Amino acid sequence: MVKLRAKCILVGDAAVGKSALSQMFRSDGSHFQKNYSMTAGVEVLTRTVHIPDTSDGVELFIFDSAGKGVFLEACEKLWEQPAVLCLVYDISSEQSFQNCGQWLERVRGHSQGQHVPGVLVGNKTDLAARREVESGLAQEWAESQGLEYCETSAKEVENCEAPFLILAQVFHQLYQDRLQAIQALA
Amino acid sequence: MIDAALSSSGAQVVLATSSDENYPPENIIDGSTETFWISTGMFPQEFIIRFSGTQKIRLVTIQSYNVKNLKIQKSTFSDATDFEGIIDKEFEHTEGQLQSNDFALNGTRATHLRFIITSGFDHFVSVHRVMVEGSSESNL
Repeated sequence: MVKLRAKCILVGDAAVGKSALSQMFRSDGSHFQKNYSMTAGVEVLTRTVHIPDTSDGVELFIFDSAGKGVFLEACEKLWEQPAVLCLVYDISSEQSFQNCGQWLERVRGHSQGQHVPGVLVGNKTDLAARREVESGLAQEWAESQGLEYCETSAKEVENCEAPFLILAQVFHQLYQDRLQAIQALA
Repeated sequence: MIDAALSSSGAQVVLATSSDENYPPENIIDGSTETFWISTGMFPQEFIIRFSGTQKIRLVTIQSYNVKNLKIQKSTFSDATDFEGIIDKEFEHTEGQLQSNDFALNGTRATHLRFIITSGFDHFVSVHRVMVEGSSESNL
């Protein structure tokens, strides 16, 4: 049995629902903030995810980072040595999707050459009528960047856990791979 | 020459910030590089080795994998307090083989050594063995 710890950087444009998503995840779907409250700087939330078919867990330290550019410099100071990345856009905002590449670059700039697994999240599927970003297109881009992909609605409590479960599993797998490599050395 | 950092010499790991029950910190002081302790995510990581009594330390050798920056501190008190820094070192990245680093300490006295890994070349780092060459000093 082992409990891993992963620093999860949560980024994306302002108001795409990063805080809503992470708070829904932490509160197990019981806390949706109805009123928008802008995150200034970084808020850290933690929750332990159990890895199916094992007795292992991954404690995620989610660094919910402000989407507004004015806070960027302050946020980036806290992104050293990221373990995993959660990149969020709003499916009803083409612009928020376009900016994902830039967010990805920023976080990867702090990885010091290490592989940082990530997931791309299309949030606000409850706004399907105003959808501007097709799932297929987003998925294709995610794959081209080596990211997993999923869509969520924090408001309708749909799939909110998925991105974090994916990240925990990927990180757990990475640990198993590294263990094997080190055992082969010794 | 005795290795003071062996469990068979009475040394103990009294603190470690990661614990996978299959790779316990005791593996650092069991005299073998085949067994190891592995960090389980995030930095910094640290462990503290307590010797049986005060040692006059000539040389510390650490065998590890993917450690980038290591700080070593010592305490001369029996209750592991008032650590002071003695080493701060950037390691080379070794692909496919263990890192082995020596530190000459010229007879520094210590009851405990604290090893702080502030960064790694990977998300997870392993420590296979710590050897401490020195001589035991009777407790005054």
